[in-house]
Amino acid sequence: MASETRNVHGATLTRRQFVLTGGTLVVGAALLGREVLKGSPAAQVTGKNSLDARLTTSWFEIHADNTILMRTGKVDFGQSTAHTAYRQLVAEELSVPFEAITTVVMGDTDRTPDGGFSAGYLEYGGTNLKKAAAYTYQAMLDLAATTLNVDKTKLSVKDGVITGGGKSVSYGDLVRGQDLKLTIPVAGDLTSMFGLGVTGDARMRPVAQYSVVGKSFANAVTPAKVVAKELWVTDVRLPDMWHGRVVHPKTLGSTLVKAGAIDKAQFPNARVIVQGNLVGVVAPDEWEAIKAAQAVEASTTWTDWKGLPIQAQLHKWLRDQADWKSTPVVKGEKNHGSTADAFQGPSSLTASYQLPFMKHAPIGPTVAVGDVRPDGTVFVHTHNQNPQALRGQLAMMLGTSVDNVVVRIYAGPGHYGRSNGGNAGAEDEAVLLSKALGKPVRVQWMRGDDLMWSTQSPAAFSDIRVAWDAQGVVSAYQADHYMPAMQDDRLVGAVIAGLPTPPAPGVSKDPIASTSNSIQDPWLYGRVANVAESGFGTFQVGQQSSPLGVGLRDHSMRTPGQLQQNFPREVAFSEAAAAAGIDAIEFRLKQTDDARLIGALKAAREASGWETRTSPAPHAKATGTTPVTGQGVSVMLRSGTYWACVCQVSVVPATGKVAVARYTIAVDPGVVVNPMQLKRQIEGGALMGLSHALHEEMAFDQSGVTSRDWQTYPILTMAEVPEIKVVILSHPEVGSAGGGSEAANALAISAIAAAFFDATGRPARKLPLRPEYVQAMLTART
Amino acid sequence: MWPATAVAGKQVTTLEGLPARWATQRKLTPEQAQQTLHPVQQAWIDEQVPMCGFCQNGMMIKATELLESNASPSVQQITEAFMSGPSPHLCRCGTYSAILTAVQRAAAAMAKVG
Repeated sequence: MASETRNVHGATLTRRQFVLTGGTLVVGAALLGREVLKGSPAAQVTGKNSLDARLTTSWFEIHADNTILMRTGKVDFGQSTAHTAYRQLVAEELSVPFEAITTVVMGDTDRTPDGGFSAGYLEYGGTNLKKAAAYTYQAMLDLAATTLNVDKTKLSVKDGVITGGGKSVSYGDLVRGQDLKLTIPVAGDLTSMFGLGVTGDARMRPVAQYSVVGKSFANAVTPAKVVAKELWVTDVRLPDMWHGRVVHPKTLGSTLVKAGAIDKAQFPNARVIVQGNLVGVVAPDEWEAIKAAQAVEASTTWTDWKGLPIQAQLHKWLRDQADWKSTPVVKGEKNHGSTADAFQGPSSLTASYQLPFMKHAPIGPTVAVGDVRPDGTVFVHTHNQNPQALRGQLAMMLGTSVDNVVVRIYAGPGHYGRSNGGNAGAEDEAVLLSKALGKPVRVQWMRGDDLMWSTQSPAAFSDIRVAWDAQGVVSAYQADHYMPAMQDDRLVGAVIAGLPTPPAPGVSKDPIASTSNSIQDPWLYGRVANVAESGFGTFQVGQQSSPLGVGLRDHSMRTPGQLQQNFPREVAFSEAAAAAGIDAIEFRLKQTDDARLIGALKAAREASGWETRTSPAPHAKATGTTPVTGQGVSVMLRSGTYWACVCQVSVVPATGKVAVARYTIAVDPGVVVNPMQLKRQIEGGALMGLSHALHEEMAFDQSGVTSRDWQTYPILTMAEVPEIKVVILSHPEVGSAGGGSEAANALAISAIAAAFFDATGRPARKLPLRPEYVQAMLTART
Repeated sequence: MWPATAVAGKQVTTLEGLPARWATQRKLTPEQAQQTLHPVQQAWIDEQVPMCGFCQNGMMIKATELLESNASPSVQQITEAFMSGPSPHLCRCGTYSAILTAVQRAAAAMAKVG
């Protein structure tokens, strides 16, 4: 067996010619023992049940028939990125047709290499795939140079065929009969929030050479969902599997006094499983498990707890009672100058803005099947945005090696950030019940569990000051942003059961599990002379006083943190523009020289039918039964993408009814990877943003969450859909593709609030704009 | 949503059954039927409606029900259909606008075939 090793731009290529097995493909997915991984630059690359991320064969299999299989640890929840943009980017780097990539393997911890959260898809998972593909491409060129006996610099590649010196060879032919191992540099921690990243100087293709990126490829998994061929997480069934329901504690701070017993006459097969404060009910039949759990719940006794503030006083409580002192204040990276002098001038605005807790609110409750096997391996079948982090946490909970845990991923209801640190909800409870029972157990949360026991997007408030000069140029901007910790990744079942978890968010240098409130809304107005942004953080509400250690657990949700900071900034800028007597778009244009921001603002202005004028609108009115209309604008820079949004709304002052008539958004991501899918992502984000603005607010009392269904946590319906216009601005010269599926929701809330002000003359400094709140806003003395 | 007992003795079509329902209605040959999705399903693919897709079974059934009783619904009629019943048809991913487009596309396709 001939063997050789060579260095390809920092990657190491070894090749052995198979003597015995002609027709074998590039070998992929070798499961490696730990010893192989010694000396890895990655902090943790696990062995058993893992792929070795350092081998490109763990990322791609190039087959002899020229088809390619691709693997990513990220999980596509429906934004389509893994099935469209990832394939397009990889096709570019490998110089193969889009259609050559026939299979995308996603998320499963034993079948994908990198881990990490599923958000910022292009920035994280996309970069990993591009780099791994670029290394592979160089290796293929290298192999072809040897095979064709042509100098590498004289080779060119088109559609997976390498040509040079009058000869050519396809990728499939190059790999046939070879055992190729291309080792690439990776770094990071597989089971952390961020997972592993491909490093080194991969020679990625210049954007100018792109030919697959920019086209509107369809999502390859859509047909399966439309013709009922998709295997949904809800449909996973294992042999001899039982069904479980968890009787969650009576409040977010209750401990167990006595678990209820099963009435065997009524529920002959059901069993109660108790671990710590976790009470589970299992039965071979799902209906028996549900009914028995309801009976057990009725007879289970708990301690009482009333440690939460009264909802109506939440923001006052946050301001006056929460501990903002223990956590170091984070200053904005773009802070400069001194704002104090500027605020001495005559023209300034001082205002406070507040946002409620909001739920991720997946259409179906969380569900998982846990399968703790006699040999100690643990399989979990679930729908989750960070399967490797879940795997790490389950191993911690069970006191076993990560090697023993496998997480498998299925399609399921999108939950927009809830599990990007590892926990969708039911996984750990399914595992604990399976372990106790000795059989696979499927745990599905009831709707109430999903709203009451999941995490939520944190409430926040901000104190804003804006000052401007006689020309309407902002001379100073000061923002003090207050928000409780946003990233509680603890497995909630493990917390309730009293088993090991990572620490609750606290005062810590850990960028994730910290109470720090960083400045998340990149500063956009470069002409402003004095800027002072500060982020104040605190503990989750009730978490410290809860004997369970639970309280109101928060987690990042679409456009996390930036939504809470962009809303006050953009609404304040619109109010300041009004006070300065300047059109709100003109006002923003005065504050920046950034051509991309200016381009997005002007595109939104043109497409939306914006009326250039001062605000409030000439007909603005805060009383009466006749609808009044208004317009609002918001801008944002997120993940390399510039956004400008215009909303036109109508308000009926007497009833407090707010309707959005038109939503226009201009987006400049630099490189546009897939216009059709980008448009769909933005439309979805826009409607979620309308939902936030008009409806969403988690209800709670002093003991826990009282939103328990779609009546007590209403979301947008089809009857409220506005005319939506998406203007895509392509700027390939930027050289990179910014994100697309976040931002649109956050821009909606700021633009709608500004439009409300324009329509009524009364500022909307808090959300949601539900009729009763609107009526209160409009009748309040100003 | 109905309890299973409420539909005893009635014909029930699920997402799996939509192509067969269409094939029967249009008297397609077995060969044609093999290659033909219900126009609503085809429109859902052509318009790339599903995001997570979890709510879309109900959405497609509702669209089919509507188009069988109203071959050319207005946007308002489509909206009213999806708002009807014990609860409105809810989508967390915000596919409502894509659904409105897809229903109109399906209506056009069904009119053309018919």
